[in-house]
Amino acid sequence: MAKLYVDSDKFGYQAASPTVEAFHSAIKDIVRTKLAKSGSDWASFVFDKSYELVAASDMRNVEKMLLDAGHKFDWSAAISPRERPDIYKPAAGTSDADLKTFSFEHPDAKTAPADKEGRELRGIGDNVAKFPNNTVGIAHYIRSPDQVLKYLTEGVPADAIAVIDDSGGTLTAPILEHFKGVICAGGSTRSHLGILTREYGVPCLMNARISGIRNGDPVEIEVTAAAKTAEAYQKGVEMTANIWRLKRA
Amino acid sequence: MSQNRISYAQLLETNNLIQTCSDETYWLCVTRTVQESKLFPVPAYMMLSYLMAFYRYPSLLRKIESGMLAEEIGDRARNMGMKIQNPSIGWALPGFYLLGREWLINLGLLKPTDAIEDVIYVMDFWKRFQLSWHRNDGHITNKEFGHRAQILPESRLQVFHADMYDCRAGDELHQAAQAFMASASQYGFLISCESRISLHNSGPYKLADDRELIIRDFMDLSESDFPWLDDVAKGVPHNNITVTMAVKDCHFYLVDDWGSFESQPGFKAEQLVGVGLYTSDNLSDGYMPVGMDSREELIKTFRSLNDKIKDATTQLWKRIAGWKRDQMIDAGAITYFAIIKDLSHVAGVYDVHDWMKIDERAERFRPLLNDEFSRDALGELVGLVSHPSQQVMEYTMAQHSNKPTRMYSNIPYAVLKGEPYTVTCGPVYPGVTCLPEKKDAYNTTRGTITLAEYNRLSQETVPPVLAEKYRYLCDNWVKYHAGTPLADDMYKVDQAHSRRLKGKGSMLKRADIEKLRG
Repeated sequence: MAKLYVDSDKFGYQAASPTVEAFHSAIKDIVRTKLAKSGSDWASFVFDKSYELVAASDMRNVEKMLLDAGHKFDWSAAISPRERPDIYKPAAGTSDADLKTFSFEHPDAKTAPADKEGRELRGIGDNVAKFPNNTVGIAHYIRSPDQVLKYLTEGVPADAIAVIDDSGGTLTAPILEHFKGVICAGGSTRSHLGILTREYGVPCLMNARISGIRNGDPVEIEVTAAAKTAEAYQKGVEMTANIWRLKRA
Repeated sequence: MSQNRISYAQLLETNNLIQTCSDETYWLCVTRTVQESKLFPVPAYMMLSYLMAFYRYPSLLRKIESGMLAEEIGDRARNMGMKIQNPSIGWALPGFYLLGREWLINLGLLKPTDAIEDVIYVMDFWKRFQLSWHRNDGHITNKEFGHRAQILPESRLQVFHADMYDCRAGDELHQAAQAFMASASQYGFLISCESRISLHNSGPYKLADDRELIIRDFMDLSESDFPWLDDVAKGVPHNNITVTMAVKDCHFYLVDDWGSFESQPGFKAEQLVGVGLYTSDNLSDGYMPVGMDSREELIKTFRSLNDKIKDATTQLWKRIAGWKRDQMIDAGAITYFAIIKDLSHVAGVYDVHDWMKIDERAERFRPLLNDEFSRDALGELVGLVSHPSQQVMEYTMAQHSNKPTRMYSNIPYAVLKGEPYTVTCGPVYPGVTCLPEKKDAYNTTRGTITLAEYNRLSQETVPPVLAEKYRYLCDNWVKYHAGTPLADDMYKVDQAHSRRLKGKGSMLKRADIEKLRG
């Protein structure tokens, strides 16, 4: 095989992620092989012959190599495991059946027994904007476009507090302003969802670390807490708001 | 390869510009959270877009400069709220190109000594545009200005200041403006496949001891370049909308090269005390007021726009929710790659095939882009800065991180002394897309027109305020020539559509504007 320029690197060794390292190593092997077979020098390979010699079929083989070794990929967009369930880890919490038992379980969720008002602490989050009163509503997990489409068609249930692990602003775009509140298990107050809930005036806790909250649970979010500032993030200052589970009626 | 085509000075400057972008990209990425979405495969489309940028930007920028020089386009950019500001040109143009280059180096498909005339040219184009666009504040980036963007001349700021309507929390105008901005922000994220690149903030400008002005641009809102907005966005009457915002008791201490702001104390809706509404593009006479003849008309206009944008949001969301993954990747990659497409519109050389297709050289890598690999490769590229090419000698303390890393590889100086190098990655190759073909309808300030018509008008149009006799008359010239016929004429151009300043000329100062507001 030919030697590549990057094969002599005094300081760089390998990528930090095993998946990236596996993919990149395999591609570099392909380039070494094809460069040698081409019989060309680098100058005529890099922006000419390599365009045909290094092809999409090679990239498909790289992915296949990991799949053949038994690897299943993490997914982030709902469409990915839907189209190729064979290559992704199972997608939990995306169907009505799943949601009967599904809950976010963060290892660092702060919990405590019920206080004298019957509020059981089930986690904390970063408050996006301060409101005069805490927000009380019913938890509704939203993890797929299908659930959004259902609410778009049937209407968002009254007093719904959306429980989401997507800090983006597109999944819930057509229904966001109809939520009574939002608990987001990701991002920060500066994430797109944080920006949008602030603009809409919807109470929201981002970066929520929660445990044991199920679909249909009554919850209270402490949006009377101070809003977490950019400065607090940069300096690593803890500014959190509580998330309580209330007794079901 | 000839050893005389590149000079030491060129390389020194190029590497300085690369390092400037490297430092700031790291800061921007680590002070924001990872973009994620359950709807869009965001990292997958981002990685694809970087390759598209690497393979196509050099040729497309050269094509653009065959119609208009970068510094002249920078002049045009100061005069409108089109998508050639931040984050598009200020950050993404060099950023996406260099990220594509860096990834290819780590795949073994590129050396830091490859395509170096392309690299030098892209960075030089960026520098000339940025210096021109930032002409009034005298910097090359917001970062260099301490994260601030004072782009506009006094003549334009006076019009924005004078014509703004006061509002306060709870009144009809405040509610209507706030509702519109919330909907438009959300729509902007959806149009741009979860990225913030349809939104832009610039400023701040000092209106009074307790008030600052922020300019908010919402761009690419209507039927124009993106095929996915065909039909669903037909009802949105303006492609670009600018809202001027006066904010009380709140200092914007940071407006970054992504066009995001931070304030002390944190900005809240009740601090909004004045608003104005405009539209613009490269065919308009600068910023054109929308619904600004009366307070009542402005309230009505905000409400109407809000309804239309909500309707477009719902239609677009349904369309996207029905897409296949490859269509989502195409739309996202095109949105990112084509973040600089408006340069082509301004120069009048726009071609759908240049901007709305995935270059076949980049397309080869699509099979790699599952969610996990894309997330990790992107995270290493811009967050961890942990790819092998990004590691440098151990004594290094990178800006912000203090680690021995560098996001973008510089060009080794050894190319000046015999180290082999290549000059360019070649011309634009054919492209493919899984999305429907773009309809030949472009919503502009001259109405909805065909692309041929749009290009023709772009080539013919010179905004009056940028006529040759005014082009080099900067605020420092006005300082010593206020009240002269030439200065008055130039100010009257910006004042032509102003409710309060029409024909007033160049002698007014900020306090005079405040008095005129009553």
